[in-house]
Amino acid sequence: FRFKDSLAEDLGRADLVISHAGAGSCLETLEKGKPLIVVTNEKLMNNHQLELAKQLDRDGHVFCCNCSTLVETLQSMDLSTLKPFPPGQPEKFALFLDKVVGFQ
Amino acid sequence: LTAVYVIFTGGHTTEILRLLSCLSESYSPRHYVFADSDEMSEAKIRSFEQKRAETFSNSQFTLDRIPRSREVRQSWTSSVVTTLYSILYSLPLTYKLKPDLILCNGPGTCVPVCISALLLGLLGIKRAIIVYVESICRVETLSLSGKILYYFSDYFIVQWPDLKEKYPKSVYLGRIV
Repeated sequence: FRFKDSLAEDLGRADLVISHAGAGSCLETLEKGKPLIVVTNEKLMNNHQLELAKQLDRDGHVFCCNCSTLVETLQSMDLSTLKPFPPGQPEKFALFLDKVVGFQ
Repeated sequence: LTAVYVIFTGGHTTEILRLLSCLSESYSPRHYVFADSDEMSEAKIRSFEQKRAETFSNSQFTLDRIPRSREVRQSWTSSVVTTLYSILYSLPLTYKLKPDLILCNGPGTCVPVCISALLLGLLGIKRAIIVYVESICRVETLSLSGKILYYFSDYFIVQWPDLKEKYPKSVYLGRIV
């Protein structure tokens, strides 16, 4: 399919996700606790997608590779080494904003 | 009561809605402003506000579209022209809404709106607090909007420690989306 309103259902059923480096895709998958391999294409991509993918790889939450190394990654990966991704904390933002605006 | 002005487009929509998810009902009415070429964002906002209305009875919000100030990879010279056009467009809108607080998270759409708000502040009409939250995608470098608004926002929030080091005036709260 080209576009779906939500991938939540498909993500829920997956055992492994292979995705491009879009932030939404990565974060949504990580939040569902699914192992993720991020495929980057440095020629096509905006720089900032690459930044996030690389950082997530450095932190051990995903495996990063490019189109040519994907097969090798799939063959040699050890999914048990992937670290869980803690959720973001929008409450901190709310608290900060309350202070800024003077709601405290 | 604080009138909140929320600016976003596309992928930024999910992020901004997460940022809003924990805000109290004092942040009302909420005015959403986004690029007119964006379809999916409107649906996401409506669904967010609908859920909110289930808990808070007095939920008020509006949706406004403005022309997109810059397409991805648009050239510099034409960007200046389209941005000026967007500023002209957003000035009357900002004047009408007179927000107390402007919240934006990165798309080019937010630059003209923030500039309009700054102009209104300079003219003594309405001084809005501008809070900019850089996208979670930005680990090492700022977006173009970020680079501009770092100097013009009241509070500039980043989500990765590297950026806090590079931009000392920014605020680092950890990952908030």
